[in-house]
Amino acid sequence: MHIAEIDNLSLNGDSILHKAGTVSKVVLTVLILISMIISKDLYRLTGLISIVLVLFVVGKIPIVQIGHLALYPALFSVFFAVLSAQQGWISGIVVIFKAVGAALTMLLLITTTPYVDVFSVFSLFMPGLIVDIFLMTYRSFFIIADKVHNLMTSIRLKGGYKPWQLLLNFKTIASMLGTLIIQSFEMSERMYRIYELRGYTGRIPIRTDLKPASQTDYWLCLAGMIILTGTVIPWKI
Amino acid sequence: MSHIHIPDGIIPLYIWLPGYIVTFTIIYFVVKRSSNEQIKRVLPFTGIAAALMLIGMSVPLIIIPVHISLAVLTGILIGPKMAFLVVFVVSMILAMFGHGGITIVGLNTLVIGSEVFIGAMLFKGLAKKNLIIGTCVATVIALIVSMSMMVGIIGTYAGFAEVLPHEATEHADEEHLDEEEHDDLHLTEAISEINYLAFSGWVALIIIVVAGIGLETLITVLIIRYFYKVRPDLIETVHGFTM
Repeated sequence: MHIAEIDNLSLNGDSILHKAGTVSKVVLTVLILISMIISKDLYRLTGLISIVLVLFVVGKIPIVQIGHLALYPALFSVFFAVLSAQQGWISGIVVIFKAVGAALTMLLLITTTPYVDVFSVFSLFMPGLIVDIFLMTYRSFFIIADKVHNLMTSIRLKGGYKPWQLLLNFKTIASMLGTLIIQSFEMSERMYRIYELRGYTGRIPIRTDLKPASQTDYWLCLAGMIILTGTVIPWKI
Repeated sequence: MSHIHIPDGIIPLYIWLPGYIVTFTIIYFVVKRSSNEQIKRVLPFTGIAAALMLIGMSVPLIIIPVHISLAVLTGILIGPKMAFLVVFVVSMILAMFGHGGITIVGLNTLVIGSEVFIGAMLFKGLAKKNLIIGTCVATVIALIVSMSMMVGIIGTYAGFAEVLPHEATEHADEEHLDEEEHDDLHLTEAISEINYLAFSGWVALIIIVVAGIGLETLITVLIIRYFYKVRPDLIETVHGFTM
């Protein structure tokens, strides 16, 4: 999933985009995404993808390190591209470009903004419970991934994994998952008690980043609006 | 197992927007009807269930070209209402990493949410008599319903050929044909191009679907059996029965 890699990039990055406010980055992302979705010609999409790639450079994000994540939607769009290719090969490429462009735009947001900040913007329009689940999921993911790694190592060391013995391996994996869930459940019970001691009332207080907008924030919002306008207006070259 | 992987910009607005509207309506009622005390107790484990689903859905099974979702298991462990919220969160996080588009999150939540709801409700009714058979039947029926929903949604828009397991299919170049004729030929051609182990065509497709459902069911049954041996109180509290 590369969550740890992306987390590292978003937290330790030091660029104009990393320093910009979360709301302005979300606005820019949404406007570029809308532009990608409504674009129907190859030139506009190529332009939009180029803008996103330039933003990757501005954000000092190593595209080689995370660019392969955009290949996943590209793979799935190939089948729709084949379908659209009945109207000409350009239609097929448009479908692939839309998918890759949208994925790159989302990647730009999550590699330049820490997840807590992204989720805090969600709290502006989503119920608090959902935002809490987002936070708990993200936190639990790393704990569980670590536990899975340790359990796999001990299973291998104790001879619990035998190649070509499928049923035995399934049983071992199911027991491992069962142990993992029970350990996680007990951990969640401890977590609940700790939260209660710290004054938890059924809502995790996270502050939405609504600090006074900087000049960069205005520029990002303006750039988003220009991109959307540029996509909507007809260009006669 | 049922998860729509279509990227953004492909499914039209009139299909994905109603998906979001229905999803948010269900979320609104779930949140409104959950008591604060109930939320407080379940929330930490909800995050863990979501993380497990996230791990399950992001790791492809090498032997079969599908991935497990652990959705029914989540529904059984935390109840269908909270599990629906978990499904939304997991779909949204996966979409952020390019695993299905952001526009498809509403539809994905409805498809996997149906799996969660049907699985948990059937488990509640059937597992009282026999835990293993109850879990097995609940999982299989839930998977069949959610897969049918997924096939219906994608098939209506893009043609049923697009629902086939992609890793096992190879497309050939096509000539221009009239639309209806093309759809039939496209589906027949796509199915004939599926290869799995020593099989091809319909046989390979049926083997992939049955193996996928079988594997998800086997994992769910084994985990629930283990869970019931070690901590029966957890399942009994959620579903209100003792064996």
